[in-house]
Amino acid sequence: MEILAEVFNIGLLQNTLRTATPVILAAMGGLLTEKAGIMNIGMDGMILVGAFVAVSFSFACTSAAMGVLVAVLVGILIGIFFAIFVVKLKSDEFIIGMALNTFAGGLTVYLLRSIFGVKGTFSDKGIVSLPTVHFDFLEGIPVLDPLLNDNSIFVYLTWILVFLTWLFLYRTPYGFWLRAAGEHPESLETAGISAQKMKFIASILCGVFCGFAGAHLSLGYLTMFSEGMSNSRGFIAFACVIFGMANPPKVFLAALLFGFLQAVGIRLQSVGVPADLTAITPYLATVLMLVYIVASGDRKKKNKAKKQLENI
Amino acid sequence: MNKLTDSLRNNKSYLTSLVLSIVAALLIGAVLMLVTGYNPVEGYAAMLKGVFGNSRVFGNTLAKMLTLCLTGLAMAVCSKAGMFNVGGEGQLFLGGLAATMTGVYLQGVSPLIAVPLAFLSAAVVGGFYAWIPAVLKVKLNVSEVITTIMLNSVAIYFCSYLTNSSGPLRTDDKGVLGGTEAVPDAFMFDQLIPRSNLSTAIIYSAAIAFICWYVMKKTSVGLEMKVTGENPRFAFFSGLKKDNIMIWAMIASGAICGLVGMFEVYGYQQRFLDSISNEFYYDGMLVAMIMNYSPLGIILMSFFFAVIDIGAGAMELSVGISGELSDIIFAIIIFLMAAEGGIRKYLNEKKIQKKAREELELRKEAK
Repeated sequence: MEILAEVFNIGLLQNTLRTATPVILAAMGGLLTEKAGIMNIGMDGMILVGAFVAVSFSFACTSAAMGVLVAVLVGILIGIFFAIFVVKLKSDEFIIGMALNTFAGGLTVYLLRSIFGVKGTFSDKGIVSLPTVHFDFLEGIPVLDPLLNDNSIFVYLTWILVFLTWLFLYRTPYGFWLRAAGEHPESLETAGISAQKMKFIASILCGVFCGFAGAHLSLGYLTMFSEGMSNSRGFIAFACVIFGMANPPKVFLAALLFGFLQAVGIRLQSVGVPADLTAITPYLATVLMLVYIVASGDRKKKNKAKKQLENI
Repeated sequence: MNKLTDSLRNNKSYLTSLVLSIVAALLIGAVLMLVTGYNPVEGYAAMLKGVFGNSRVFGNTLAKMLTLCLTGLAMAVCSKAGMFNVGGEGQLFLGGLAATMTGVYLQGVSPLIAVPLAFLSAAVVGGFYAWIPAVLKVKLNVSEVITTIMLNSVAIYFCSYLTNSSGPLRTDDKGVLGGTEAVPDAFMFDQLIPRSNLSTAIIYSAAIAFICWYVMKKTSVGLEMKVTGENPRFAFFSGLKKDNIMIWAMIASGAICGLVGMFEVYGYQQRFLDSISNEFYYDGMLVAMIMNYSPLGIILMSFFFAVIDIGAGAMELSVGISGELSDIIFAIIIFLMAAEGGIRKYLNEKKIQKKAREELELRKEAK
């Protein structure tokens, strides 16, 4: 019982929000490219570069805002870069995505070494982290106060961005065209709108989201940059896009669930489970969730088909 | 992806592009060195010296080539059949651990029995770990790309747990961080070049490489794999058991990765360390992609990659330029090669447009 109380408490929910945020952000980006018909497995690299750039510029300009801004700008550049290869030159998405991850891993470590002269991790008092937000009116309310107060600003921004993504996809003509670019590019072309252009936009927006995710990771979640700190989050985000069938609210929930499982893993350390074993949780959970979602989706389809047959 | 699959010999233009890409990547690497305040000539010289400087470093380069070549072939074997095994890293870890523990437990047994058993355990464990995502893909249509990546992390953390602080397989030897007991000397492969990493693993590797090439290029199984990979529907309607082909291709891929893990231990490390591989599989995968999964191409290209990789490590030690430069160079080559077809098409279109414009003007003048 005591062990359970140690693991399942308000801290668990706090951790859930914190760990899920970068994944939610990247997943929103991945969702847009997925809708536009691009399989984007280069998100991990995009997050990594975002995290590096955010730390560098936060340190250089002593301003977290500058860090985020430049991370987003670089995200846009990577988005364009990715789109040129995948959309314009029609290269294999899988290969370009994998190469992007390798490139990001190599470049960040190389620059870390040559600019800051360190290997592994760069943390310095000079890095300005993102501000936290405090709501006075929540003070003293039991669950909400510890949960919703004093989180990094990106935690709140993420919720708004999820809503905006949904709004963009389902309530604006651009969103409609973007979805059409993935589902029926020919029809879209016939309607006089370039599918290539929509794919470019999706890819650039994905870069922006991954820039946010990286900035949050290195300036909000932690205040440092370390080698390979994206730690497969880009892939987990991609998995969340698949669980959530590229629907923003569903993807959001999938990412929260992932964050929850990872948080459980972190809490288990405090009751003596070795850190290496708890570190497995999010990855194993991703596989199991993926299997469950895909399998249950199949079953639903089969049931539907059966019913239709019976009706005939 | 299958545009350029067949024999490299008949594909001069592909080779030209490859050479150009490599030159471009090395130039970009040089620019990067300049920008970050290093002398590129000095850097590349240090790289060459670190590879061809003496027999020991050259042996290390060849050992690296074996690893890259086998991991590349592992990627090629499954991707020919339309499966993307990104999980070689995890299969390598588990295979290496299995082979090591087999050796440790069989201490005192004749090497003639123990070593083949170690081979078997590495291949079986590696193959089994690849079988999981393969079945999920074939039976449930769960993307193997995601599951294999996730299973990598699972395997690596699991091995780290087993071989660290409170883990059940941790060695009692002092001075070893995160490792198992050592494999008995009698089971170790012989060194071919003293004090280098090159061992008789080269013979086993050559055998595996030959089998891969032979099966993929010269047998009906290879053709069936190719058909399954390129056109699964056609394979299905031709009566091929495409599910079985895909699963077995994946198992073969995992088994090769498991053996790579074993070679790392039996070749020179002598015990399983939780740092057994530094993303070796990803490098091999990149080699395979650049060469369009052609077995012969992979064997040749892995030498070039080994030179850059080992050279970059030496460069870091002597000149202080980060060895990660090798990853950057590799990635650029891949970007260029993946876009090769697209760039060629784009240039062609430009040429045709220009020609058309000139013709138009000529006609205007004639009028």
